[in-house]
Amino acid sequence: MGSERDDASAPVAVELEGVSKRYDGAVAVEGVDLRIREGEFFTLVGPSGCGKTTTLRLIAGFEEPTAGTVRFDGRDVSGVPPEGRNVGVVFQNYALFPHMTVGENVGYGLRFSDPPGGVSPAERVRELLDLVDLPGTADRDPESLSGGQRQRVAMARALAPGPDLLLLDEPMSALDARLRERLRLQVRGIQRELGITTVYVTHDQEEALSVSDRVAVMRDGTPEQVAPPRTVYRRPASRFVAEFVGDNNVFEGVVAGGESGDGDGQGGRNGTTGGDGNRGGPGTVPVDVGGTTLHVAVGGRDDAVNGVPAPGDRITFCVRPQHLRVGRGDNGFRADVESAEFLGETTRVHLGWGDRELVVRTEDPLRGTVAVGFDPANAHVISVASTADTS
Amino acid sequence: MSDGPRGRDAPDAPDHRRDRPARLRDRLERRALAGLTAATVAVLAVVFYYPIGTVLVESVVVDGAVTLGVFARLLRDPFYFGEFARLFAGEGPIAVARALVGPDRRLGIVGFTAYQAALSTVASVALGLPAAYLLARFEFPGRRTLRSLTIVPFVLPSIMVAVGYVATFGRNGTLNVLLGAVGLGPVELMFTLEAIVIAHAFYNAPLVARVTTAAWESVDAGAVETARSLGAGPLRAFLDVVAPQVYPAVLMGAALTFVFTFGTFPIVLALGGFELATVEVFVYRLARDLNYAEAAALAVVELVISLTVLGAYLRYEARHTVTSRGVRPLPRRPLVPSAPTPGDVLTRLGLGVYGGVAALVFLAPIVSMVLASVTGGDGALTLDHYRFLLDRQRTGAAFQVRPWPAVRNSLVFAAASALVALPMGVVVAVVTTRRYRGRKLVDAVAMAPFAVSGILVGLGLLRGLVFGVEVAGWRIAVAGSAAIVAAHAVAGYPFVVRTVAPGLESLDRSLIESARALGASRARVLRDVELPLVWPGVVAGAAFAVAISMGEFTATVVLATGADAYTMPVAIERFIGRRLGPATAMGVVLLVVTGLSFVVIERLGGEYDGI
Repeated sequence: MGSERDDASAPVAVELEGVSKRYDGAVAVEGVDLRIREGEFFTLVGPSGCGKTTTLRLIAGFEEPTAGTVRFDGRDVSGVPPEGRNVGVVFQNYALFPHMTVGENVGYGLRFSDPPGGVSPAERVRELLDLVDLPGTADRDPESLSGGQRQRVAMARALAPGPDLLLLDEPMSALDARLRERLRLQVRGIQRELGITTVYVTHDQEEALSVSDRVAVMRDGTPEQVAPPRTVYRRPASRFVAEFVGDNNVFEGVVAGGESGDGDGQGGRNGTTGGDGNRGGPGTVPVDVGGTTLHVAVGGRDDAVNGVPAPGDRITFCVRPQHLRVGRGDNGFRADVESAEFLGETTRVHLGWGDRELVVRTEDPLRGTVAVGFDPANAHVISVASTADTS
Repeated sequence: MSDGPRGRDAPDAPDHRRDRPARLRDRLERRALAGLTAATVAVLAVVFYYPIGTVLVESVVVDGAVTLGVFARLLRDPFYFGEFARLFAGEGPIAVARALVGPDRRLGIVGFTAYQAALSTVASVALGLPAAYLLARFEFPGRRTLRSLTIVPFVLPSIMVAVGYVATFGRNGTLNVLLGAVGLGPVELMFTLEAIVIAHAFYNAPLVARVTTAAWESVDAGAVETARSLGAGPLRAFLDVVAPQVYPAVLMGAALTFVFTFGTFPIVLALGGFELATVEVFVYRLARDLNYAEAAALAVVELVISLTVLGAYLRYEARHTVTSRGVRPLPRRPLVPSAPTPGDVLTRLGLGVYGGVAALVFLAPIVSMVLASVTGGDGALTLDHYRFLLDRQRTGAAFQVRPWPAVRNSLVFAAASALVALPMGVVVAVVTTRRYRGRKLVDAVAMAPFAVSGILVGLGLLRGLVFGVEVAGWRIAVAGSAAIVAAHAVAGYPFVVRTVAPGLESLDRSLIESARALGASRARVLRDVELPLVWPGVVAGAAFAVAISMGEFTATVVLATGADAYTMPVAIERFIGRRLGPATAMGVVLLVVTGLSFVVIERLGGEYDGI
């Protein structure tokens, strides 16, 4: 992380407006609105079947939307076949032409357009193979290359004609974990170097967070949140996003105080509950979660909710495992240790609290029943539904 | 790098895509596939659907009035339908059923045709399955060669096989010579049902073996091993895992065999004569007697029956198709095990007996034909028959069949029809391997020539385009030879489809999509990526088209009437009635020429999927 860029002033390179795709009644993508900016590394992430690959294919022109419009630089591209869209595509299985050498593969796109920069096709092929760090492989047979090398050849082939847009469809998922980490850095580096607008599809949320300028988390054919990785991670816009991106603990409760609370009578603004000594601070509200009162900071800059929840509102918030502190007495509860996974740097401990399953990170495995608590400022409010809405 | 993506760093940079003439070519290219498709549709319409339509019309229009009278008469005629005719005439089914199981039942021409087709199917499956077992489950030297030899019957001209069997089963045929040598009396197999069934098995058993072997080889060893690990014994694992995957292929082989043998013509013509006539033979006879309405009606009845069987099979196939990819095939056992168990010995003995029978069925006609071509009336070796062909070439009258024009015509027609069939087949393969609504219909329409009798096509072409058609005051007539090329192309292109389509189907879609994203039009992708990758199938398809044309007899004999557009098979048929010797000599010539196209399949084709 730390590389992301969210330059809202950059012009829009690709725009999807109300795009839907149905196959024989089954919805693959529904009402997608996306604006992908010039030079941006934009990632579509989500579980399988969420429509991310279909979205990419709609952009590439392999599929035509059943509704909505796809625009490149403001131009409607509906009816423009893939070969007319000036895009570079890299597939999961690389799709190298097995009957051509590496050089012929990379040079294939140059049969249809002159190499950018006024160089000869052969020169361009050499440039690209240098770029992906495979110099001197032009005469090799693709079959003789390793998976990671093939992936880089596919990348070089996609980039050779100088596309306006690079589309990567799970390009790493056939590779082993360590190679994947190295390659994604390389892909990101190349993208930076060329400044090419890139749409990246992956089911791996860690991959999405690590390389992207912005991420669209998709679910059931629709993006649930489109934001820079940090925002998606820290301020998930929905319970689904909170749980899909990284480990998370999601709590649902009712804002205490007021007529339904402990008689504080002041609404939630500076609400405190004295019962067990927990203390909220300014900008927090007490939330009754299954009989326990937990304090949650509200009104943060990126909160999904503006304003202050009123007592009686249903509230959903989340606390990352690393923010759920074992041994912290205040603003917490006692939970049973159910299992622990040793991950090397940390241990992921699964806790049972009532019928909720929670995750914390510790140095050492735990046993028995432990006290866990969190700083109200580390809780992120996902949603608030006022009683008026729910009743 | 200096070149940023167009439109971002340098919005005013000149478009590095192609200039105008190139763009024009791009546009043409983009339309190329659509154009080829339209051309294919046009060819099919003109030389296949229009002629068939002509015949259809002829069967229902008598003296300018639409009537089903011809059909009604046909269906009630015991000559055609035997006891079934009484059913169509309104008698109760029970009485008809009783008559059918009675001793002096009459099947009629149609009934007999179905009966011999059913027998031939049983014989072909019986002869084909052990071959599939041998090829799929055993390793032995020459296995691959034997496997590729199973397509030989496909490329062997049927009239030549018929001549071979005449040379085998005839009164002085090799069979009787051999029997006489061991003191057994002569047997009369000519013009018997047995001879026809054996000849049909020669043709179709390899087809059954071929499709079954392919299915057997695609059974995943992992599935069998899983079944074994779950407690199934070898037999149980075979019945539960292997058999269900092999069975549809056997059924496919059987269905195709039935359809092919139901429409059989040259073999029955040569081996059965008019005493054992099938529908196709009778259609030919009626047409020759200029009784076109009845010929057309009979051909339509035949077509309906063939399509019904094929349709039933295709429905079954659609529900039972299992596509397995990347399987690890079952390991083959050595045919000669180092430490044989009694069971092993028994299996090998069985296969040995089978091998003997198969050798007899498959080699007898070829060997007999070659022998007969060099044997004189007195039984001594002679080249007289070949000399006769040369003499006939030198001195033959205009109305007589001369060998060289036959060879030349065969070669020219074969080359021309392959040139038509190849692009047609490739286009149909491309169109039918893509997924879209109505694909099944397109598939059926395109593959219909597989099931439609050559007589029907030949008759339609003859009555329509060859005799001439009035179009907007112009009389359009094509030469008999052009019609023959068209008929051959239509007969051959389904084979191109069947050899090319499986390869295209198994191609990774992302290869095509990658090429398109790189700027290639659909037609360009076909040329640059798809065809090179399925090249063995294309070559095999071309060889099939050549071989089919070379051996095609049915439509040719109709269209070559009177004209000098006769081919080698037609020449053989014209010789066969008078003297067997020259017919066999001509057959050997045909064998050599056809053998060359098989060599092409082997040399250029290599391994390919499909039939």
